[in-house]
Amino acid sequence: MMPFLAILRHDLRGLGASWLVRLWLAATALLTLVMTLSQWQATPSAVLIASLLFPYLVFPWFFVVIILGVGPVSGSRSESLADGILSRPVARHEYLLASWLSRVVLVLGIYLTVVAPAILVLVLANRPAPDDTVTVYGILAALGAAALVMTLQVSLGFLLGTLLRKPFLAVVVLVFVWYPINLTLHTFSLEEFSPISLNQALPTLLRQPWRQSEEDQQTETDEEPMGWLGQTGHFLETLAPVPEKSVQQDPTFYDRGDFSDFFLPRVILGYGIPTLAAVALATLCFCWRDL
Amino acid sequence: MEPAIRTEHLTKIFGGRLIAVNDMSLEIPRGSIFGLLGPNGAGKTTTFRLLLGLQRPSAGRAEVFGRPCGANAVVVRGMIGYLPTHPKLPGNLTPIEYLDLLGRLCRLPREVRRPRFASLLRAVGLLGATDQRIRTFSTGMATRLGIAASLVNDPPLLLWDEPTAGLDPAARRFTLDLIRELGKNRTIVVSTHILADIDRICDHVGVMHEGRMIFNGPMRDMKLRLRRDDFSLDLEGSGQEIGRLAQQAGDLEGVDVRVEADQTLLVRISDVHSRARALAEVLKMVDAANLLLQDLRCGQNETENAYLQLLQEDEAHGFQRFDFDAGHADDAISGDPPA
Repeated sequence: MMPFLAILRHDLRGLGASWLVRLWLAATALLTLVMTLSQWQATPSAVLIASLLFPYLVFPWFFVVIILGVGPVSGSRSESLADGILSRPVARHEYLLASWLSRVVLVLGIYLTVVAPAILVLVLANRPAPDDTVTVYGILAALGAAALVMTLQVSLGFLLGTLLRKPFLAVVVLVFVWYPINLTLHTFSLEEFSPISLNQALPTLLRQPWRQSEEDQQTETDEEPMGWLGQTGHFLETLAPVPEKSVQQDPTFYDRGDFSDFFLPRVILGYGIPTLAAVALATLCFCWRDL
Repeated sequence: MEPAIRTEHLTKIFGGRLIAVNDMSLEIPRGSIFGLLGPNGAGKTTTFRLLLGLQRPSAGRAEVFGRPCGANAVVVRGMIGYLPTHPKLPGNLTPIEYLDLLGRLCRLPREVRRPRFASLLRAVGLLGATDQRIRTFSTGMATRLGIAASLVNDPPLLLWDEPTAGLDPAARRFTLDLIRELGKNRTIVVSTHILADIDRICDHVGVMHEGRMIFNGPMRDMKLRLRRDDFSLDLEGSGQEIGRLAQQAGDLEGVDVRVEADQTLLVRISDVHSRARALAEVLKMVDAANLLLQDLRCGQNETENAYLQLLQEDEAHGFQRFDFDAGHADDAISGDPPA
C-alpha cells in the first residue's frame, strides 16, 4: 500500500496546486452563492437544491471534471510518469488506481465543500419561500447520486485519456458522447440514467423519507413546477432531439414528469457499473500499453 | 554465475514501421561497467525501456538477474536504478520531498529513507539546495538529483541513459568519477555516444547500430579491432617538401604514406613488416628533409576509430547482415576482431 498512498498523496498535492482546480473552486463557490441568493425568496428547498446540483451534473462543471480525468495517463505526462514513477518498483495498476482515486477525491471534495454548506444553510434558514419537506435521507441520497455521476465522468475521462492518449481529443470525444446520451438512453427507456433526467428527478428524491414503502411512492405525486431548472432541462433536450414517434409511444419516467417511480438502487447500479467498467478497462489498457 | 542482464533475440518494432531493437542477444556480466554505444536512434534508450518493462518486446525476452522483465515485473524494477536522459522531475517539489516520494514508491521504511536522503544529497553535492524547488534547478543539478533518485533503493544494477549529456566539464568529471566509484560493487550500464566517457570508465562495451548489437565484449577487444599501424606525423615545413617526403617514404616496402591537411603525414605500416624499423626509416627521412617534427601520434583516438570502424563495417556488410542461421546472435556477442 505504501506506493499507492504515496502516488495518491503526490497526485492530490499536484492537483491542489494546479490553476485549473483553484479557479474551479472559486468559480463553483461563486456560482453556488449567486444561485442561492437569486432563488432565496421564492424557490422551494427541493427545487433550489436540485438547481445547485445542476452545474455538476450537466453543465458547465462537466468540462472541468473530464479535463481532470483525462490528464494522468495522456499527453506529455505519460512520458514523465514513465521516467519518474513507473520505472520504479510500482505496478501499473497501483499507479492508475491511485491517480483515479486522487481525482475522484479531489472532484468530490470540491463539490461537497461548496454544495454541502449551501444546502445546510438552505435547510436550516427561515426563508420566505413556500414550505417544502426536504428529508435528511433525500439530501444524502441526492448528494450521493450527483457524486456518483461525477465519479462516472472522471472515470470516463480516465478511460478515454488512456485509450486515445491525446487529452484534447479525449475531451472532444467525451463531449460528443456525453451530451447526446439522452437520446440513446431514451431509445432504451433508460432516461433515469441521464444526468438531465436525474437532475429533474432530484426534487422528488429530496422529499423522500427513509424506508418509504413502494406503495407510498406510487401514490405520492409531485406536480411541483420545475421552474427554471425544468425549462433548462427541456432546452437541453432540444439539443439532442428525440424522435417524435418514440415519445408518443413510450410515456414513461421521463415524459410523465412526476418521477414517482424513481428507484435509487437502480440509479446507483446504472452509474456504478459503468464507472467500475471504465476503471477496469482503463487499467487493462494501461497495463498492456507501451510508455 | 547468472549475468546481470541477458537478452535473447530481443526485438522491438514500433507500430509495424520502425525497428528500434533488432534481434538483440546480449549478456552483461555482473559487476561490470558496461558502455552501450551507438549513434542517435540506435535503440539504446528503447533497450533500457524494455528492460524496465516500460515497453513490451515485439519478440524475444529479457532478464535481469535471472528474472524476466515486463510491465508488471515490480521485483525487477526494484533491482534497477534508472536515470533517464534529461530526467523530467516534478518541479513543485523540493529534493527531499522528491526523494521521499521515490523512497515510498520503493517501499523503504521511514527509518531507512531519511538518513539515506541526507547521504545521497551530500554525495551528489545538493545538500546546499535542499530548500529550493526542483523547477529552479539547472540541467546539471537536475541530473545530479536524477542520479540520487536512481540510488534511493540502493539497487544492484544501474541503467544510466546519457548521464553526461548537457553537463559542464566539472559536472561531467564528477559523474564519471561517481560511476567508477559505484561500479566497485554494482553493475552499471551507461548509454552514451560520447566515446571519451566510455574510454574512461567502462570495462565492457556494446555497440548498437540501427537496433542491432554489432559488437559486445571487453573494452580491450574493441580496441584490438583498431588497425594499430597508423601513425600521424605533424610536420612543419613547405608543402612541397612534405609532398616529396611522402613520395620517398611511400617507396619503402610495406609502408603506405599520404598527406592530410597539408602538414600531417599519415603512415600506415602493413602487419608483416617491423613497425619500429619502418617508422625509424620514415623519421630518418624527415630529419634528412630538414622538416620539423611537431607531433607524433599512434592511433589518434582508439575507441573512436574502433567505433567508427565497426559502424562502417556494419554498413559495408549490406545484405550479409541478414542472418540465415538461428545461432547468428553469437556473431554479435563475440568480441573477436574481424579477420
